[in-house]
Amino acid sequence: MVKKIFIIFCLFIVLHAEDAFERNCISCHENLPSTLQEMFKRYLLVYSSENNVKAGIKHYLKYPSKDISTMSDLFIERYSIKEKTTLSEKELDDAIDIYWNKYKIFGKLK
Amino acid sequence: MSVLKNKVTNSLLASEKKSLLRFFALYMAMILLLIIMISTYYYQTQEKLMLSQQRATLFKYGYIHAKRLKVLHHFFDERVDYPRDPRFKSAIYDIDYKSIFSILEDTHVKFDEEIYRTGNHIQFVKSLDDFYLGTKYIIIEVQDDGLWKDDIWKHILAYGIFFFFLFMLFGLYLAKLFLKPMRDSIVLLDRFIKDTTHELNTPLSAILANIEMMDTDAMIDKNKTKLNRINIAAKTVSTLYKDLTFLTLEQEKENEDESIDLKILIENRAEYFAILAQSKKLNYQFDLNPAMIYMDRQKLTRVIDNLISNAIKYNKRNGIVGFSLKQGELTIWDTGIGISESDMDFVFDRYIRFNQSEGGFGVGLSIVKKIVDDYNMHIKVISKESEGTKMVLTW
Repeated sequence: MVKKIFIIFCLFIVLHAEDAFERNCISCHENLPSTLQEMFKRYLLVYSSENNVKAGIKHYLKYPSKDISTMSDLFIERYSIKEKTTLSEKELDDAIDIYWNKYKIFGKLK
Repeated sequence: MSVLKNKVTNSLLASEKKSLLRFFALYMAMILLLIIMISTYYYQTQEKLMLSQQRATLFKYGYIHAKRLKVLHHFFDERVDYPRDPRFKSAIYDIDYKSIFSILEDTHVKFDEEIYRTGNHIQFVKSLDDFYLGTKYIIIEVQDDGLWKDDIWKHILAYGIFFFFLFMLFGLYLAKLFLKPMRDSIVLLDRFIKDTTHELNTPLSAILANIEMMDTDAMIDKNKTKLNRINIAAKTVSTLYKDLTFLTLEQEKENEDESIDLKILIENRAEYFAILAQSKKLNYQFDLNPAMIYMDRQKLTRVIDNLISNAIKYNKRNGIVGFSLKQGELTIWDTGIGISESDMDFVFDRYIRFNQSEGGFGVGLSIVKKIVDDYNMHIKVISKESEGTKMVLTW
């Protein structure tokens, strides 16, 4: 019994060691040919600034649609559009903030 | 109408000069303002012309830079080296005007203008439709060599000075043209006063001489009173005549300065006005010490006459006209109506009369002031309404 509790505890610790982005995004995107970096650049190309990019991503995740997707038609035909997110507002914002900070251009150019 | 210019007219040039100077100052200020406005407009036009010539080059640089950003966007983040070009400096901003990367020397970017000068640089703002690396605005910056400004300044200075002097000459011509009617009126008035005073001289002298010669002992009292009235009236007109003559003729005359015994002169002039003083039942009060002064007798007489005349004219019945003399100071005082504090600043102005019930042109004290100033003397007015006035002359 003690052993079972220890395993569940360890699993709980491991799961919560990952952040909202890693927990909710990476697992699905790992299987896609287009990287999260590529997708980020597509968002940049369309929305430009931090506020716009974040708002664009959030809106798409909440209301996924072919019409507002930044991905190519070929990609959507092949992999279709994602399911509507089930994440809470806070978790969604956290995941998007992490995504922005991970791939943003600011401070990376030389 | 032909009006002759004479010495009298020239004496009135001071007022003309004042008007001329005021008009001219205003006119030149406006001309200067106009030249500055035209120069500013010219400068701005030339600046715009220079910028429009630069625009094509900077647009080309902007296009090149956009292409390089596009490549960098696709290869980011394998490549992170911002594209640099020796011909220009650049910066990229996102749609919220946040700098993504900048190598500009002047970071004061004006996003609402396409091309502009800032300090020693020219900056061009190119807006992108595809936001490579999030870039909405590319700023291209080149050095402004300022050569275009040298020519503009040369033109502004040369044409500005030329037109300034041209308009100045035109202004002088205009001023003279505008002043002509005023000058004609003054000349006409001068001639009128001069002719009138000239015509007054002979009859007035005849009246005064005959009054002096009349044997009053043989007259009955009634006639004596009438003769006194004629004498007072004639002396009043005579004082006025002398003032007007001074204004129109004598003030331009060379001074014939001499040493004058003031005590004797004051006694004489007081005696001359005695009959006027008697008519108002005024008493003289003398405190005269010997005093000498070196000046033109005619002018000094005008000063004393006017001061005594005023002291009598504005006195109350049974009042006192006082004379106090010591070396360097003469005081003539009265127990008359006095001058209000608000009127005090204007006592020496020409044609100013505070009491309309008394006759005169209001020129007396202005003549006094002119003579006093000519001789670097000082006159002080001490007055209290309803109590009297004290005129203190110092030299």
